[in-house]
Amino acid sequence: MTKTARSRLYSSVLIGNDVIYMRQPRVFIPAADFYEMEKVAPMKKEKIYSIWFLLPAFAIFAVFFLIPVLSSFFYSLTIWDFKTFTFCGLDNYVMFFSEPSLNTSLIHTLVYAFMTSGLKVLFAFFIALFLTSKIRTKSFIRSAVFFPNLVSAIAVGITFSTLMHPTKGIINIIIKAPGGSTVNFLGDPNIALFSVIAVDVWKGVSIATVIYIAGIQSIDSTYYEAAQIDGASFWQRVWNVTLPMCAPAMDSVIILSLIGGLRCFDLIWAMTGGGPGFATDVIDSVVYKQYAAGFYGLSIAGNVIMLVLISIIAFPLQHFLNKREEALS
Amino acid sequence: MKMKKLLAVSAAVAMSATLLAGCGSSNATAETAATSGAAATEAPAAAATSAAEAAPAESSTSEAASTEALAAPEADLSGTTLTVLVDADTAAEGYEAVFAAATEKYGVKFDIETRVGGSDGDNLVKTRLASGDIPDLTLYNCGAKLFALNPTEYFYDFSNDPIVNSFDDTFKSTVTYDGKVMGVPVYTTQAGAVMYYKPDYEELGLSVPTTWDEFLSNCKALKDAGKTAVAGSFGTSWTSQVIYLGDEYNVLADNPTFPADFEAGTAKYATTPAGLESFQKLADVIPYYNEDYTATTYDDAVDMLANGEATHWISLTQALGNMESLYPDAMDNIGVFAIPGNDPDNSGLTVWYPSCWYVSKDSANVDAAVTFMEYWCSKEALDIYNANSAAYGPSCIKGYSLPDNALKCVKEDMQSYFDAGKTAPALEFETSVKGANCEQFTSAVGTGQMTAEEAASQYDEDCKKQAVQLGLNWK
Repeated sequence: MTKTARSRLYSSVLIGNDVIYMRQPRVFIPAADFYEMEKVAPMKKEKIYSIWFLLPAFAIFAVFFLIPVLSSFFYSLTIWDFKTFTFCGLDNYVMFFSEPSLNTSLIHTLVYAFMTSGLKVLFAFFIALFLTSKIRTKSFIRSAVFFPNLVSAIAVGITFSTLMHPTKGIINIIIKAPGGSTVNFLGDPNIALFSVIAVDVWKGVSIATVIYIAGIQSIDSTYYEAAQIDGASFWQRVWNVTLPMCAPAMDSVIILSLIGGLRCFDLIWAMTGGGPGFATDVIDSVVYKQYAAGFYGLSIAGNVIMLVLISIIAFPLQHFLNKREEALS
Repeated sequence: MKMKKLLAVSAAVAMSATLLAGCGSSNATAETAATSGAAATEAPAAAATSAAEAAPAESSTSEAASTEALAAPEADLSGTTLTVLVDADTAAEGYEAVFAAATEKYGVKFDIETRVGGSDGDNLVKTRLASGDIPDLTLYNCGAKLFALNPTEYFYDFSNDPIVNSFDDTFKSTVTYDGKVMGVPVYTTQAGAVMYYKPDYEELGLSVPTTWDEFLSNCKALKDAGKTAVAGSFGTSWTSQVIYLGDEYNVLADNPTFPADFEAGTAKYATTPAGLESFQKLADVIPYYNEDYTATTYDDAVDMLANGEATHWISLTQALGNMESLYPDAMDNIGVFAIPGNDPDNSGLTVWYPSCWYVSKDSANVDAAVTFMEYWCSKEALDIYNANSAAYGPSCIKGYSLPDNALKCVKEDMQSYFDAGKTAPALEFETSVKGANCEQFTSAVGTGQMTAEEAASQYDEDCKKQAVQLGLNWK
């Protein structure tokens, strides 16, 4: 798909600092108009703009992106102390995959990413469905739902680790009141990761909801009318109209939340610091710890592994979702 | 329109409330340690009086040992402001008082910045050094952690300064890198030891244990009596290491050459029985911890021990300094004993050398900073420091003895180990290899995720990363 076609098909939504591109529902262009456009579009366009116009943008891209990425590939093969480096081949990678203190983080990262993404996709859809229905305090509830996303992850992390304190936290005080036994949310290695996942979903579900709302609102009401005339119940309409028609929104949610989950760091660091022990270590927290320890080569190797992991998950997934989207429309 | 206004206002209120909540909790953790900005302005008056009090009182006892290095230098540093980076876990009262006294005496001013402790703090210091944003004075560990900074690159070399002659020899070796003496001790030595609440021992008729088994049976007796036998403070995760690190005396008792062999890569924790026992001790105490030990912080544990809510706390004795500033009346209830080993006749203390001041060698104020360091090592400054922040071990400055009002548990309990020669430096002061994930392994054992054997062998692997980084030839 060319750039111009992309910008025609996608509308951008500005949320916080992130620009999110969303696919608009396809517009039917009558064949006659289409030929008209072809005729009008001058074929000499290529000659008007020299390729050198790309240079400033490419220079910035190279300095701030390309060179760091390529140099990180190089330094991940070395033992580096900022001043001198010793080439060590793939030792850093071997170490990363063979040591339990490092490689458990890979599994935790995958569990974290897929669970947060899945839960966000599910919850956000129903919240969005509710918020696009005919309710009175719609705009207030929408703001309220979005609110957790305005708070910094560190503040959320500190707040929840206080709420989840095994004896003094409000959650456990409430559990204890009717005689329940307290839960050590962040201290029990078996549930610590899931506690953080729950908080991440609480915080991140809002972005997904906003994307869903935009998707659901752009569905033409004629589809619902047609379905209603055919006698479809509410859930049948949700299943057969809303769900397929907001597929582009859902794909955005899946991709964004999955990549966000794979890269998660701030919330985990604020809540558990990767602990107790290594129970909630993800790749990013391991990378940070190796950096803090002064193992710069090893730390960069971790970063490269994360880059590759995200790429091999995100690109095929996006490809698959795009295919599915095309099949649906 | 009205609705929007209402929304905007409620959002603003909610946001500022969260902001305050965030501030509140971060203040709470730093409270006991340092409130640099505000306290710095209040300190001069208090310190001036304490300095005045200290000077005449000490002049009578000072004839015992007064050497050249212990005299304060003459200088005028007015107009200079030294930037200082300190960590939040070091009790602030002591250095703030000395800073105030130096402002009085030399006209030098201080701009104090407080950072977090633990590995986040290490990371911050490393980043600051790497980016060239180095304060005039940096407070940081000595030993292995200093050597990991590549210190000669950034810090002033004190080798030719007369103050190094007054340094205790073992201490001096922990700040010497490439033959250069990099740092000046901030406070006294300390120990990784068991601090205990004496009234509980008296109540149950227990005696100070000389072996680890006795310690465990004491814990059991305390638990049966409905008390919290051991305070765990895993919420501040570095504290989980102390049982294992503080057991070094017992490892050395069995293997006198362990540090050298360990650095050479021939001795491993997993294959050294005494080393394995150090890890096993982490697992042994699990049943005796307080219920919320995974979330309890260092500051919480200070409160618990001072108030008798827990009987033992195995931590660095620097906590006595924090405790003294919060609960000066409770200090007679606190005792200290070494982490016991297997031989009842050979129980000894594992000693930590203090964090040091490091002077940035590229600073414009390097001369003023060095002069201030000379003042710092003078008897006058040491007395001011120890009068404001209780000493938690013997001094690293030769010929300086602690003032008479030092804590009883330091002067009696800890000093007896020093007098008997039953002390050993912690491993991180004997070798530059310390596993970066040490605190994660100790808390993994302490929360029952790993057995001592698993942790020991994985910790050996973890140390290998440091060895590789240092260019040691480990297989």
